[in-house]
Amino acid sequence: MISRHHSMFTVLSIASLALATPFATQAAPPPGRLLASQCAQCHGTNGRSVSGIDSLAGESAREIYDEMREMKNKTDHPDDIMHHIAAAYTDQQLWLIAQYFSTIPK
Amino acid sequence: MNTLSRRHFLKLAGASAALAATPSILRAQSATSNGRVVVVGGGFGGATVAKYLRLWGGANAPQVTLVDANLKHVSCILSNMVLDNTRSLSSITFGYDNLQTKYGVKFVQGKATSFDNVKKLLKLANGTTLAYDHLVLSPGIDFKPIPGLNFSKIPHAWQAGPQTTLLQQQLQQFMSSSSPGNVIITAPLAPIRCPIGPYERACTVADMIKRKGKPGSKVILLDANPGIMAEVNTFTTAFNKTFAGIIDYRPSVQVASVDSDRRIVQTTTGSEFQASVLNVIPAHLAGAIVRTNGLVPDLTAANWGAPVNPLNYESTVSGMSGVHIIGDSQGTGMSKGGHVANGEAKVCADAILRMLKGEALDMGPTVPAACFNSVTSTTGSWLSTLFAYDPVTKSMIKVKAPDNPTGTFEAPAATGDNYERIFDWSANLFADTFA
Repeated sequence: MISRHHSMFTVLSIASLALATPFATQAAPPPGRLLASQCAQCHGTNGRSVSGIDSLAGESAREIYDEMREMKNKTDHPDDIMHHIAAAYTDQQLWLIAQYFSTIPK
Repeated sequence: MNTLSRRHFLKLAGASAALAATPSILRAQSATSNGRVVVVGGGFGGATVAKYLRLWGGANAPQVTLVDANLKHVSCILSNMVLDNTRSLSSITFGYDNLQTKYGVKFVQGKATSFDNVKKLLKLANGTTLAYDHLVLSPGIDFKPIPGLNFSKIPHAWQAGPQTTLLQQQLQQFMSSSSPGNVIITAPLAPIRCPIGPYERACTVADMIKRKGKPGSKVILLDANPGIMAEVNTFTTAFNKTFAGIIDYRPSVQVASVDSDRRIVQTTTGSEFQASVLNVIPAHLAGAIVRTNGLVPDLTAANWGAPVNPLNYESTVSGMSGVHIIGDSQGTGMSKGGHVANGEAKVCADAILRMLKGEALDMGPTVPAACFNSVTSTTGSWLSTLFAYDPVTKSMIKVKAPDNPTGTFEAPAATGDNYERIFDWSANLFADTFA
């Protein structure tokens, strides 16, 4: 269970643990999976887009995280829907989302 | 009970021989030890929860049976584009083949009428019963009756399918006639499915009139609400500028009755409006199976949805443990529509998988509400809200930001890029739900 109050360090450790364990044998679902699934409405199931919107599957966690942080902080672009979506998540949540997509094969 | 229900299941599955030759994800379907989930309603909520229960369940996935009265679902999303022939009805119609072949969901065509939550049995109109450990109800909406309203003459077109075709045909006939007239659309009091829908529809029809050049013709939008429900800036601009003189927007007008033969709306204040084409969207109710089985304690409440715990969408009514309501019929207060129903379905699927294994629920679910919609035949706009669980109020609340103080942001302007995005968005939403 990841709460928003966990430190970034805790979040990182849990996320790395998840990477080392195959999903099927894991007791709890991978952290970030449920959060990341809420991107699929626009970015495709497991981040594999079937349209002109970017795929997220298999990108590096750092890249996805940095890009979402950049969009989050870019307040001079109110016409970018992703600015508003990214801004609604905490950095910890963004990191969990980024980590999850990085584990999905392209 | 287990033996009986298992026999029922195999009978419904129709082919025990087929199971032997299927991949592991399908074989897992025959084991009841992982639990049985029955889903009622194959729209954005129901199809998504069925898919994700199987996708995320992996080798330990529960049996999932999806029940719907129809073999295919016609999406309300993009259905306003059928009215002006931008899209065909078949292009927004989805079957359940992918859910069955790719994820091992069992599909049963039938009308679910009631359930016994002590015996954990769902009953269908044809007498079949389906045993469940968890029952997910995603039936969409019903309508509050309006005296005189006959949907075979006056379409609502608010559940896509034949009703969409009927309104499209009436509009086509109106557009091909040389005499001017009024298209009247009535929007019901919130909360409704797709709060931008009535305004988008008014714009679609106004755009048809504007493009054709049909002098003297208008769209009159009679809105029961005191003002535009969603995308206020976008639609205020559309009504006052883009379609000035074509759209006549009248807030706070409530329909009392309808003369379906003469296409006349009578309002609660005694006014009458006569239309060439009349589209009445009545106020909503929760789907029948939710409403008539005790899941909505106050049937007269303004929030007509069933009360649920937003961590797992389980009913909060006593005796209803294991019964979950998602989509338009749930009463969390989040916006209603296909995009949101898809998001609720994932929270529900994750929660049911945890409950079946005796694990704690995820205490931090989020559900995005977004839509991309047309304003003209070449421009579009969007709306975005993120709902997150608030442990203090135990409810889903809008996440606010310094430059988004209400938690809901709409596109600053209707643009061509936003119009193109409608199709990029809907393609992924459709695939995430049905493919």
